[in-house]
Parts: sequence; structure tokens; C-alpha cells
Amino acid sequence: MSSLKTSFSGYVRYKGRAGHWAFLLHRITGLGTLLFLTIHIVDTAFVYFAPQLYEHAIALYRNPIFMLGEIFLVFSLTYHGVNGLRITIFDLWKPEWWDIHDERKSVMITLIVSIILWLPAAAIMGYNLLKHGFGFFGG
Amino acid sequence: MSAQRTVKIKPNYEVIAWKWMRYTAIVLIPLAWFHMILQDVLVGVHRIDLNYVQMRWAFWGWRVYDFFLLAFAFAHGVNGLRQVLLDYVHSDRGRAILSWGLLFFWIIISLIGAIAIIGGVRIPSA
Repeated sequence: MSSLKTSFSGYVRYKGRAGHWAFLLHRITGLGTLLFLTIHIVDTAFVYFAPQLYEHAIALYRNPIFMLGEIFLVFSLTYHGVNGLRITIFDLWKPEWWDIHDERKSVMITLIVSIILWLPAAAIMGYNLLKHGFGFFGG
Repeated sequence: MSAQRTVKIKPNYEVIAWKWMRYTAIVLIPLAWFHMILQDVLVGVHRIDLNYVQMRWAFWGWRVYDFFLLAFAFAHGVNGLRQVLLDYVHSDRGRAILSWGLLFFWIIISLIGAIAIIGGVRIPSA
């Protein structure tokens, strides 16, 4: 437990700047996506194991709070993918790009690309949330 | 410019796992993103129900797609969780428990998903 406490206080105090923030965001988005993925595999398996429960599970996802969470999930998967692609390209083909001086630039590009990809999806999902979650636009 | 030398590392489990994360990343970006855009953005949770899943899985291509997505995404995710937890668990005993626990977790959830994809939707008789 002490190592856990040391790790978390280290995360806050460590001044790794851009690369450090990318590392943390990659972990958080990855763990969040895995949590959802596990629940999602089990609830989808209801269609075979307990079909009468499937509609209840889906009803939960239609809750406005979950629909808001879904918009964050899409950001997580988008960011984790773009940043994962950056890591993969650097590690497998361009190890010389792991340069502390260029780190901030590649981290910023990753973040900007992720947000640009996410915004149209967030807009559509936000519209669906207002329409089906709150009854706007004649929903 | 410093001199460079290439070191050949004997492939052990960790090297294979390290490569696995990067190779699956390349596969998962189109696979998981397309699934997400289709189901979360274009179709939307308000239109998904038993009939929708049945209609979708009536085409076997979608079952194959979902099977690959399940296999790659969940293995990638559980190995990622293992890597994160190894940063906090340092004792041999703790790491052994962690590895076996995650292996068990991975097999069980993967099996549940795989059985559902193969078995398909069972519409309850009204």
C-alpha cells in the first residue's frame, strides 16, 4: 500500500511535463475503456444467457448520466488510439523521435488530432442526449 | 553523434507482450473506432435492443468482426491492466497472484463474450 501512495504522490510531484501528462492520460483512458469494455462484454452476452435482462441493461445506458459518460468514453477511445499510434510509430519505426525536445510538440499534435476527431462525434451524441435523454427537438 | 549498436534481445514473455500491445494497437484503431462510430454515434444507444442485435448478427460477417474485436481488444486491455498493476505490486507472491488472477479474469470474460457471439440472440417467448 505504501508503494501505491508513493506512486500517486509521485504522479503529482514528478515534473515530466508533456510526456508525463500524455503517459497519465493514456493510462486513465485505457483503464476507463477496459472498465467499460468488461461491462459491455457481459451485458451484450445477456442476449444469449439472459435475453430478458438485456433490455434492462440497455435501459441503463439510455440514462442521461450514462449517455454523458458515453461521450467521455468516445474521447477516451479516440485519445488512446491516437496516442497509441504515436507510441507504436515511435517504438517500432522511429525510435529517434523519442526526443525530449520534440516531446511537447508530438503530445500537443496528438491531443489536437484527438479533439478534432472527437468533436463531431460529441456533437452528434450530445444532440442525441438532448433529444432522447431530455426530450428536446421533439424527442 | 554517439556511436550506435544494435542489441538483439532474446524474445521472452515481456518482449512478446510489448510487441503484442503495438501490433494489436494497429489492428484495433480501425476495428474499435469503426465499431464505436457505428454503434455509439451513427446508430446510437436509443435504437439498440434485442431485435437490433439479432438483425446485426444475422449476417455472419458481423459475428466474425465482433469476435476479432473481442479477442484483440480484451487481451490488449487486460495486458495493459497487468502492466499498470505491475508498477504497484513488487513482491514475487503478489505478482504471481496478480498474473493468475488476470489470466483467469481474461479467460472467463472472453469465453462469456465468445459463447454469446456464437450462440446468438435468444428472443424470449412471450
